[in-house]
Amino acid sequence: MSNSIPEIENADLLLIFGYNGADSHPIVARRIIKAKEKGAKIIVVDPRITESVRIADLWLPLKGGTNMALVNACGNVLINEALYHKEYVGKYVEGLEDYKTAVAKYTPEYAEAITGVKADDIRKAMRDYAGAKNAMILYGMGVCQFSQAVDVVRGLASLVLLTGNLGRANVGIGPVRGQNNVQGTCDMGTLPDVFPGYQAVTDAKARRKFEKAWGVKLSGRIGYKLTEIPHLVLQEDKVKAYYIMGEDPVQSDPNAGEVREVLDKMELVIVQDIFMNKTALHADVILPATSWGEHEGVYSSADRGFQRFKKAVEPKGDCKPDWQIICEIATAMGYEMKYEDTEEIWDEMRGLCPSFAGASYKRLDELGSIQWPCPTEEHTGTPYLYEGNKFSTPNGKGQLFACDWRPPLERVDEEFPLSLSTVREVGHYSVRTMTGNCRALQQLADEPGYVQLSVEDAEELHIRDQELISISSRRGSVMARALVTERVKKGATYMTYQWWIGACNELTSDHVDPITKTPEFKYCAVKVERIKDQAGAEQHVRDEYAKLRKQMGVNV
Amino acid sequence: MEKKVLTVCPYCGTGCKLYLVVEDGQVIRAEAADGRTNEGNLCLKGYYGWDFLNDPQILTARLKKPLIRKNGKLEEVSWQEAIGFVAGKLTEIKKKYGPDAIMGTGSARGAGNEANYVMQKFMRAVIGTNNIDHCARV
Repeated sequence: MSNSIPEIENADLLLIFGYNGADSHPIVARRIIKAKEKGAKIIVVDPRITESVRIADLWLPLKGGTNMALVNACGNVLINEALYHKEYVGKYVEGLEDYKTAVAKYTPEYAEAITGVKADDIRKAMRDYAGAKNAMILYGMGVCQFSQAVDVVRGLASLVLLTGNLGRANVGIGPVRGQNNVQGTCDMGTLPDVFPGYQAVTDAKARRKFEKAWGVKLSGRIGYKLTEIPHLVLQEDKVKAYYIMGEDPVQSDPNAGEVREVLDKMELVIVQDIFMNKTALHADVILPATSWGEHEGVYSSADRGFQRFKKAVEPKGDCKPDWQIICEIATAMGYEMKYEDTEEIWDEMRGLCPSFAGASYKRLDELGSIQWPCPTEEHTGTPYLYEGNKFSTPNGKGQLFACDWRPPLERVDEEFPLSLSTVREVGHYSVRTMTGNCRALQQLADEPGYVQLSVEDAEELHIRDQELISISSRRGSVMARALVTERVKKGATYMTYQWWIGACNELTSDHVDPITKTPEFKYCAVKVERIKDQAGAEQHVRDEYAKLRKQMGVNV
Repeated sequence: MEKKVLTVCPYCGTGCKLYLVVEDGQVIRAEAADGRTNEGNLCLKGYYGWDFLNDPQILTARLKKPLIRKNGKLEEVSWQEAIGFVAGKLTEIKKKYGPDAIMGTGSARGAGNEANYVMQKFMRAVIGTNNIDHCARV
């Protein structure tokens, strides 16, 4: 996020694009409500009636998979109605002429035909957005989990640049990062192209620095991305071993059937985790790690805030902290890796990452939270980026970007006439091994999970609310409970990904964005069918659930 | 005696601070703390999402011992055997196919930044590859 979570409530306008805060970040969602209470205008772009839509001043209910067409039309309005901030653009931004050409054909009327959003609503949204003193964009996986994702992010960033909403408090653009340390995992260089602190592995100078610190020669070749693994294993036979720490790809990645095939073909699958899960069922070796609550360290919040987390209880079994397990393997392989505690690791990392250098444990304890960049121990952190409107481009100028809209890679057709998008629900988290093992949360919702379905589609298919139904795609078929709701438009269905029986990732496609290789979780073609024998289906769910729990080692 | 431990929620990216209240070595409840992003608020996962630490045997069992698959079945082994097995196998695969035949993941959840730093260092310095990624992409 360019700006901070607490700043959300001080914006004069929030443009919420493909982001359902109430289900994914309830405490961020409270800031959205506070902003509204303080008088902010709320504009929401989402095909579903989310909680934010309910308090919105303007709702743009676009068709799934048409983001780029809408973003281009927004740019078109800013240019054609001369709503953009000429002085700011002249001083800090480049690429205006090319941008104008790229968005020229995306008139609101042209976009209406693609997105289904009324042309005048697009105009109104941009007049309000450009007219607000401090406007902030929040976006989520409704932007990122499409085969055209990076383009949309850059398109949204262009709206921010065009209106000069950067470089000060209460503005900017916020990808509200999902999991509690997904920002931190990126910060630490758990990515195939960068060392910790976003230093490129292809940069010889950065490589030399890490080589000196670690005492070995390092590869300058960018590594494989997670979502490339199925192809690299099944088609190219290039990857033979998989060391999986704290992830459950069979449950969380698209096309689960293919993921299982990948794991079974590998020569070695190492799973390091806290609970048995669907991926661990395919492991050759399982290493039991200590959990949150049983060890300490630092997390990075979505708005770049380093915060210490502490140990509260002793581990229940013969478990070791993740870092200690890795150090023991390294040492057994002939590279001695030894740390006394997490602080020693953190200090080594800080010494190699200029933008994190000042965030020592001592300073974190004093300040509670430090937002990077924090170059020295005297520095108190950076609530918002781009002070002075200097950007991380070669000449320091912000770059405008637009390109043509591309439809999702899978299309609905006669056989699979509905679209499926995967979403979140508030009570359960991610693959559910943690929340599903909490008594209070487990009672909120349980197997087989739900398919959200429009009232019109349910009527056509003779499906009643809460009935068990079958949902299939070109890749698989699962059973789940119908949730017939007016929040969903005809032709679209939605499922959350934590269920074992109603496992939507048996259905999702492994099409990806060409740059980030992020899967198109938000769009695949499915069909929904009524199940006549409801009693038999209910029994099937109970039997399957009991079988799975037994497989996972639970005392049933 | 109750003990309150100030920590950060393990679920979403908001980074809410909370207290885990511990009695006789067990977490008994969570209380909201005055963190920068949550200012004394928590959602239901913050309040009730710690119970899995008590291994209540609802959905899946907690992993408590290293396991190695022998004749198709996962069997409990000592840490020494597990570490030796992993190190031996990884060395063998690296020698036979090269370091780029090995892929590793970080974890965007409970493990924390230090564990992720050590994981990417392991893949880069010990295995010799940049094949390290995590679920930010999915």
